[in-house]
Amino acid sequence: MARSRTERAFRALLVLAVPVGAMLLILAGSTVAQESSPSASPSTTPTAPSPTLSVPQATTEPLPSLVPAPPLPTPLIHPGDRQSNSCFDCHTAVNPTQQTVSAQWQDSVHGRAAIGCADCHGGDPTSDQITVAMSPSNGYIGTPGRAVTVGICGACHSDIERMRASNLPTDQYAKYFASVHGQRLAAAGDTQVAICTDCHGVHDIKPVSDPTSSAYQTNVPALCASCHADADKMAPYGIPTDQYEIYQQSVHGEALLVQRDIRAPSCASCHGSHDAKPPLSTEVVEVCGNCHRATQTLYEQSRHAQLGRVAPKCWTCHGTHDVSQPGQRLFLHADNAPYDCSTCHDPATQQLRLDITQFENEADRRCDTCHHPNSTIYAQVQGIATTLADAQTAYSGAETRIGEAASLGMIVGDAQVALSEAKTSLIQAQAAVHTTKLTVVTEHTKDTIDKADIANGIAQGKIDESTSRRAAMVIVVALILVNCLIFFWIKRRLDRELPAEG
Amino acid sequence: MTRPETDGIGRRRFLRYLLGFSAVSTLGMVAWPVIRFLIPPQTRAGAGEGRVLVGTIADIPIGSAEVIPVAGKPTIVINTAQGVKAYSAICTHLGCIVAWDGSSQTIVCPCHDGRFNPASGSVVSGPPPAPLPALDATIEGDDIFVVVN
Amino acid sequence: MGWLEERTGLSPVIKASLHVRVPMAAQTFYFGGIALVLFAVQVVTGTLLTLYYTPTTDHAYDSVLFITSDVEFGWLIRSVHHWGANLMVVFVVFHMLRVFFQAAYKYPRELTWMVGVGLFGLTIFFGFTGYLLPWDQRAYWATTVGTEIAGGVPVVGEFLLLLLRGGPDVSQATLSRFFGIHILVLPLLTGGALVLHLVFVHQLGLAHPRKPKIRKPGSEAEDNVPLRPFWPNYLLDELIAWYILLAAMVVLASLFPVGLEEQADPLVTPDHIKPEWYFLGVYELLKRVPPLIGIMAPVAVIGLIMVWPFLDRSPEVLLRRRKIVALGATVLIVGTIALTYWGYNS
Repeated sequence: MARSRTERAFRALLVLAVPVGAMLLILAGSTVAQESSPSASPSTTPTAPSPTLSVPQATTEPLPSLVPAPPLPTPLIHPGDRQSNSCFDCHTAVNPTQQTVSAQWQDSVHGRAAIGCADCHGGDPTSDQITVAMSPSNGYIGTPGRAVTVGICGACHSDIERMRASNLPTDQYAKYFASVHGQRLAAAGDTQVAICTDCHGVHDIKPVSDPTSSAYQTNVPALCASCHADADKMAPYGIPTDQYEIYQQSVHGEALLVQRDIRAPSCASCHGSHDAKPPLSTEVVEVCGNCHRATQTLYEQSRHAQLGRVAPKCWTCHGTHDVSQPGQRLFLHADNAPYDCSTCHDPATQQLRLDITQFENEADRRCDTCHHPNSTIYAQVQGIATTLADAQTAYSGAETRIGEAASLGMIVGDAQVALSEAKTSLIQAQAAVHTTKLTVVTEHTKDTIDKADIANGIAQGKIDESTSRRAAMVIVVALILVNCLIFFWIKRRLDRELPAEG
Repeated sequence: MTRPETDGIGRRRFLRYLLGFSAVSTLGMVAWPVIRFLIPPQTRAGAGEGRVLVGTIADIPIGSAEVIPVAGKPTIVINTAQGVKAYSAICTHLGCIVAWDGSSQTIVCPCHDGRFNPASGSVVSGPPPAPLPALDATIEGDDIFVVVN
Repeated sequence: MGWLEERTGLSPVIKASLHVRVPMAAQTFYFGGIALVLFAVQVVTGTLLTLYYTPTTDHAYDSVLFITSDVEFGWLIRSVHHWGANLMVVFVVFHMLRVFFQAAYKYPRELTWMVGVGLFGLTIFFGFTGYLLPWDQRAYWATTVGTEIAGGVPVVGEFLLLLLRGGPDVSQATLSRFFGIHILVLPLLTGGALVLHLVFVHQLGLAHPRKPKIRKPGSEAEDNVPLRPFWPNYLLDELIAWYILLAAMVVLASLFPVGLEEQADPLVTPDHIKPEWYFLGVYELLKRVPPLIGIMAPVAVIGLIMVWPFLDRSPEVLLRRRKIVALGATVLIVGTIALTYWGYNS
C-alpha cells in the first residue's frame, strides 16, 4: 500500500509530537512547582536539625568617628620663677573666702610642688601691685572658662618632660577628648559636661592615691553620682539617674563603699576615667575580664563565646550596675519562663541577635530565657543545673554533719580539712559553668560529691563515737546508782544500831 | 535491838556479796579506761615525731610539686632550683586547697585564681590577703622530709 | 590482816585514825571529803596525762590533741581532769562557806582554817598553771592577761610578773615553769597542807553546829553531845557522796567533753580573751575600778579571810546571833557572784 507524502509527513509529526509534548509538559510542571515552594526538596520526612548553629556573621555597626580633640595649648608663660608667688601673699589676707582658697592651694599637690597661681591664671607673680600682677597685658586671664580650663590643665599634664619627675601619665587630654564628656565638649561646645576640675577639684587638688581626694577609689561613685544621679542635670541627655543607687546595692558597691576594699570596681574601673564611655557589647567580656581573668578564660572556651551578637555576655546573666551574688537560681525560672521569640530573633530582619532589654529584670536572667524546654540544648542546661545542685547539697550536708559533731563536743579539725577539699572542687564546678560544657562541670561536681562524702563520713564517725560514749555513760551511771543503793541499804542497817540522837 | 543470830549470818554473807559486787564494779569502771589509756595507740606516732617523710626526689622532681597531708594538714611541697620548699596548702583567701601550676611555676588557688610565689609563699596576684605559712623542709639523700612544727 | 599487822605494826595507827567518833549533829554536807576525793582524782588523771603530754611550745598542742583524739579513753581522762579541776574549786569554796557559816573556824580550829585558806589558794594556783598547758589560743592569751594582772601589784608587781613568766613575755620559759609548778611544786605543797589539815581535823574532831567549844577546858562540863562512829557510819555517808560525785563527773565528761581551740599564736590576739570562770569576778572588777584597787582588793579580802578567826573572837556559833558577820559575808558572796556573772556576759 503506498502512502502519499502528506500521509508520511503527518505520521512523522504524530510520532514526534508525543515525546516533545511530554517534555513540554514536564517542563511546565516543574516551573509551576518551583514557584509554589522555594526549596526543591520534598518535606515528607523531617530532617534532623543541624547540630551546629551557624550564625551569619553580624556586621558590627561602624563606630561613629570621633570629633578630633582641639589642639593642645602651650602652658601659660609668666614672669618670675617657681619661688615667686605674690598672689598668695595678698589673697591669703583679702577676705575669708580668698583665705580659704589660698590655704587649700597651699595644702594641695600643686602648692607643695610650687605650681603657683600664675601657672593657671596668668599674670605677674613677682609684683605686689594689683594693676601689674592682675593685668591682662601681663597675661592675666582671670578665672578661665570651662572649655579653656581643659586646655590649661592639659597643657602641662600632657608635657612628658614636665610630668617625668612626678611619674604622672600624660595621656589624659587625649583620652578625655575620646570620652563622651570630651566629645560633647568638642563637637557641641557643651560646657555642662564634666571637666578636669569637676572631679579633681580646683585649688584643693590632691593625688588620687590620697584617701581624702575626691577621686580616690572609694569616693569615685559618689563623685560620678554628683552629676549622674541628678535628674535635672541628666534631663537634656536622656541618661538614667538610678545607677548609683543600684550600684550601692550590688556586690561591687558593698565591697567598695562598705568594706572599703579598693580592689572593687568603681564607675571608672569599667567606664574609664578620663576616657569615660559605657563599654560596647563587644567589649564587655574584656572589661569584666580585667579583674575576673580566670572566668574570662573559662567563658572563652564556651559555645557562647563563638556566637557573636546572639550570645550572652557577662552582663546578660550578672547585670551591670546591679551585679549580685550568683547562685543556683540563675539556671532556670522557678515557674514558666515568659518566652519571647524577639529575645533572640530580630522581628524585622529575622537576624539572630540578643535583645538585652529582655534581661533587665533580674528574674529573667536565666538560661531558660533563651533556651526553651523543647530545644535540644535544654537537656544540657538542665544537666548542668542538676549536677551543681547535687554537689551543693552534698557539700551542705557534710557541713551540717560536721556542725552536729562539733556541737556534741567532738574535735572536727580533720573533717574540716576534708570539707575544704570539697569546697575547692565545688567552687571550681561553679566557675566551670561559664564553659557551658556539661562534661567539664560534671568532672568537678563528681569530685565535690566524692570529697563531701569523705568529710561526711569522718563527721558521722565522730557522731557515732559520741553516741556510744553516751550509751556507756548511761551504763556506768546506772552501775554507780546501784552501788549507791547498796551503800544506802548498809547505812540504814548501821543507823538502826545507833543510839537515838540526843 | 540485836537481830537473831541466824539472820545475822545470812545477812552478813549477803552483805559481803553486795560489797564484793560494789568493789568489783567500781574497780572495773575505773580500772578499765585507765588500763586502755596506758596502752599506746597504733595510729600516727603523735607529738614529738619531729618530721614526716613526704616523698623522694624521684616522686617530686625539680620544677614540680605535690599536695600531701602532713600531720593531718594539707601541705604543698615544691622542689625548686633553690631547694625544697613546703607551705600550708590552705589558701589564705577562703580556705580552698592550692595547687601547683607547672607552666607558670607558681602556686595557684583554683577557686579565685590567687597566686603565690614558690620561693617565699607571698602573694603574687589575686584576692588572698596573706602569704602561705611556710614549713621547714629538708632533703636527706633522696628523701624529702617536712618538719612537723 | 594478822599477817600484815605482824609485819607493819600499823594497826594502832589505823585504829587511831578510824576509830573516832563525830557529833551526830555534824552537818558537813561532805564538801570537804568531796574536795579531798577530787584532789585524788586530779592526781590520778593528771599523772596519766603526763604519760603523753610534752611540755614544749612545739609539741604541747599536738600532744594534747593526740590525747583527745587518738589515745584510747584519752578524751575521758582529759575531760575528767578538766571537770575535776572546776568541781574542785566549787567544792573547796562550798566547804569554806559551810565552815564559815557554821562558825567552825572559831576556837580551837583557827589554824585548821588558815591551812584551809592556804589550800584554797593552792587550788586556784593549780587552775591557773594547768590552764596554760594545752598551749592553744585560749590558754596562751588568758595566761598573758592573768600574769599582766599579777604584774599590776604595787611594789613587787614587775618582779612577780618576771617570776611567773620566766621572762618578759609568755614563752617556753613560762610553759616550763608552769608545768613544773603544776605537777611537782603544787602537789607537794598541797599534799603537805592536806596532811596538816586532816591531822588537825582528826585531832580536834568535827565541830558541832550549835554548841561552841568552851574556851577554858574544865571550867564547865565538857560538851556532852551524842556521837556516832566515824568508821563505818560517817565514812559511809561520805562514800555515797563520792559515788554521786563520780556519776556527775562521768556525765559531765561524756556530755561536755573538753575541746581545743587553735594553736597558740603570739602574733594573733583573739577578739575576746577571758580568763577561766573562777577569775572572772576579779577580771570584771578590774574593768570597773582603778587597777590598784582592782588588784589589792581581792588580795586584801583573801588576807582578811585568812586571819578572820583572830578578828572574830566571839564565841557565838549560831547564825542568828552572828547577823552582822553573816550579812557581811552574804554581801561579799553576792558581789562576787554578780561580778562573775557580768564578767561572763561581757
